[in-house]
Amino acid sequence: MVTAAGTAFLPRERLDALLDLLREGGRTVIGPTVRDGMPVLGEIATVADLPAGWRDEQSPGRYRLSDGHGDRVFDIVNGQMSWKQFTFPPRQKVGEMNRFAVDGSISFQPSAPDPPRLAFLGVRACELAALGIHDRVLAGGTFVDEDYRARRDAALVVAVQCTRSASGCFCTSMGTGPEVRTGHDLVLTELDDGFVVDAGSPAGERLLARLPGRLATPGEEAAASAAVAATRAAIGDPVATDGLRDRLMDQLDSPRWGQVADRCLACTNCTMVCPTCFCTSTSISSDLGGAVNVTERGWDSCFNPGFARVAGGNFRPKREDRYRQWLTHKFATWIDQFGTSGCVGCGRCVTWCPVGIDVREELAAIAPPALPAERPFIRPAAATPGRFEITTLRASHPETPDTATLTLVPTEPVLLAGLPGQFVMVDMPGFPAFPISVSRYAHDHLLLTVRGAGPATAALLNTPVGGQVGLRGPLGTGWPIDRALGRDVVIVAGGIGLAPLRPVVDALLADRGRFGKILLAYGARTPADRLFTGELTAWTDRGVEVLQIVDRSGPGWAGRVGVVTNLLDHRDFASRPTVAFVCGPERMMQATTSVLRDAGVSRERLFVSLERHMQCGIGLCGHCQMGPFFVCRDGPVFTLTELGALFTREGV
Amino acid sequence: MTAPGSLAARLGSTWFGSGLSIHARERLAALAELREVEPGAVLLREGADTERFGVLLRGLLALRVGVAGRGTATLMTVEPGDIFGWSAAVPPYRATSTVVALEASQVLLLESGALRDLLRDDEQLMLALYPRLLESVSRRLTATRTQLLDLYARDREYEPW
Repeated sequence: MVTAAGTAFLPRERLDALLDLLREGGRTVIGPTVRDGMPVLGEIATVADLPAGWRDEQSPGRYRLSDGHGDRVFDIVNGQMSWKQFTFPPRQKVGEMNRFAVDGSISFQPSAPDPPRLAFLGVRACELAALGIHDRVLAGGTFVDEDYRARRDAALVVAVQCTRSASGCFCTSMGTGPEVRTGHDLVLTELDDGFVVDAGSPAGERLLARLPGRLATPGEEAAASAAVAATRAAIGDPVATDGLRDRLMDQLDSPRWGQVADRCLACTNCTMVCPTCFCTSTSISSDLGGAVNVTERGWDSCFNPGFARVAGGNFRPKREDRYRQWLTHKFATWIDQFGTSGCVGCGRCVTWCPVGIDVREELAAIAPPALPAERPFIRPAAATPGRFEITTLRASHPETPDTATLTLVPTEPVLLAGLPGQFVMVDMPGFPAFPISVSRYAHDHLLLTVRGAGPATAALLNTPVGGQVGLRGPLGTGWPIDRALGRDVVIVAGGIGLAPLRPVVDALLADRGRFGKILLAYGARTPADRLFTGELTAWTDRGVEVLQIVDRSGPGWAGRVGVVTNLLDHRDFASRPTVAFVCGPERMMQATTSVLRDAGVSRERLFVSLERHMQCGIGLCGHCQMGPFFVCRDGPVFTLTELGALFTREGV
Repeated sequence: MTAPGSLAARLGSTWFGSGLSIHARERLAALAELREVEPGAVLLREGADTERFGVLLRGLLALRVGVAGRGTATLMTVEPGDIFGWSAAVPPYRATSTVVALEASQVLLLESGALRDLLRDDEQLMLALYPRLLESVSRRLTATRTQLLDLYARDREYEPW
């Protein structure tokens, strides 16, 4: 917002002048600082109290601070404390009840608000939204929490736009940040040399007019905007909020609540660090004679076993009830009560959960968004033995000396509606049917990338343009793209295994903002055996880190040589939530998943695609049975957890 | 000249160095030299004395083996964080491959004689360095075996009997 005074620039060395102005009238400045190695919101007496050069690194269940990152003072995205500490303290006296000893008469004296005069320095956009939510909840209805209102009225708010984000951030999805739009008196955007400053209220304009410094240059304003835009891009859009309320309320019986409860410790951390959770309980301490009774309000949590207890019973006796209560209130019924979601996307509940329960992941699992990957089961075309849909070969594009990509045009639209990772059974007169995974879906055709490994595939590759091919499909399970929402994605392909993974890249790039970093590690036998070489470069340009390696070098090859695990050996995936999709020869998948597990990817988030002898593709012929699975019907995509000891076990 | 303290920190930020004790990192950093090398630079020659041990900080290195009449073949490439010249610490101290920079690279180099002197004098360092060295060499051994399996080959050459 440009004010009458205009957008200002405050040089870093004059930050003390801002503190002086904020302190006028006896205010205490509260801002981020580091105390005993922990990020806290505390008194900022001098500029030196601000955490210059400190940064946070967050992931589910993990928080680390480190210093030495330059001079910036607002690089800690957030810590465990939110501003409700000051507007809605953890313990607050609300009144006294007295009994007069002489005649037994009683009296009640509510506490009169006596708010400290504070200036909040460094309030993030999500925090402003949280204060706005508390304004509605505690001071916007028929009944008002007077102490809260007084504290809010007595506080100046100096916001900071985020130029960094943490892995738990999802303000972009909740519509609260990272841009500061309302609810502030002043707003700063930190650059290396100083701060771009704007006012957001009459009080802020008065402060701005007295601030030393000068008008910001167009270059500084542009740099500030670009930094915030880069933060937005880094966060992406990890939570699909469209229709989330209804999706969530439709899932009160989801089995997932119980699964979360198995991990949840009911420690209440998520509610304590949440900037909007407002539930409290009162406690009374009295003297021995019962004459003086002091009533205090303290933060409580719906995760506490006694929170919903009444005489004779408990309305939410099980942990899964309490988790469901919290999540559905925060993301659904809060909207009914207060007209806004109760979540601002600050990510604290993700980071400070001791077992790393990630609310973004739970929302996607319990109330999945309507992404293409989440389409309901599509009954495949020609789903009975002996039947195939006729398709016409439109083109054949050679990929390597023995592999080509065929463009097939079906008349049956179901064949185009498959998921990444699904396959089709291919049949031609004179040959038994064989499975080929789909290497791309397009609006009127699908692509099959086929290697001439035997007579049937050779015959398919020799089909002339205009010739006909029978297909049954799409069949089997696909790669679960929804599990990758908000996460980093590692795709590891070996040889022809890149073909079933190409639709994964297509799906991730079609919705790029919803996923974290994407790494594609591709191993091939020789440089000439690599598939889709033109596209590999294009993917790099679109934000995929593409690493290629060959077993055997060849003429003109100046790239990497070795096995695909060499690309992953020295990486650490533990610090950010990561999902991996792996496809290639089974031995290669074994080595790859072993390295990925060592690097911190959990078995539940490691997906592999198995190859087995298939003749029908619909679980009837029995060829592909493996333990409890028919690979064609229950796979080919499995998590390592599902496969357990069956994975790479010889002879099963 | 970069201060040894900062070299120890650089070493600690690599895969190889992160598995060493602080003591080991400091001792190694005191001997180490930070060097930028151009593409094509030869850091070690196969069969010759291993003159240096190094940790790749940035870039890409090729390990090449020569066959008379066939030229040299790159058998593997070394990623940042990993080492080269491990034979500087293993008798007979002769390089098992030629090490060539494929890209502009940054390396931490230790002169092999000095490294061996240091190891002889410092048991703590020895106890820290050799397991990590073996881990790297063992990864290469495993990777090379996997390469030998020729997993992406079309024909199954090995029948299960």
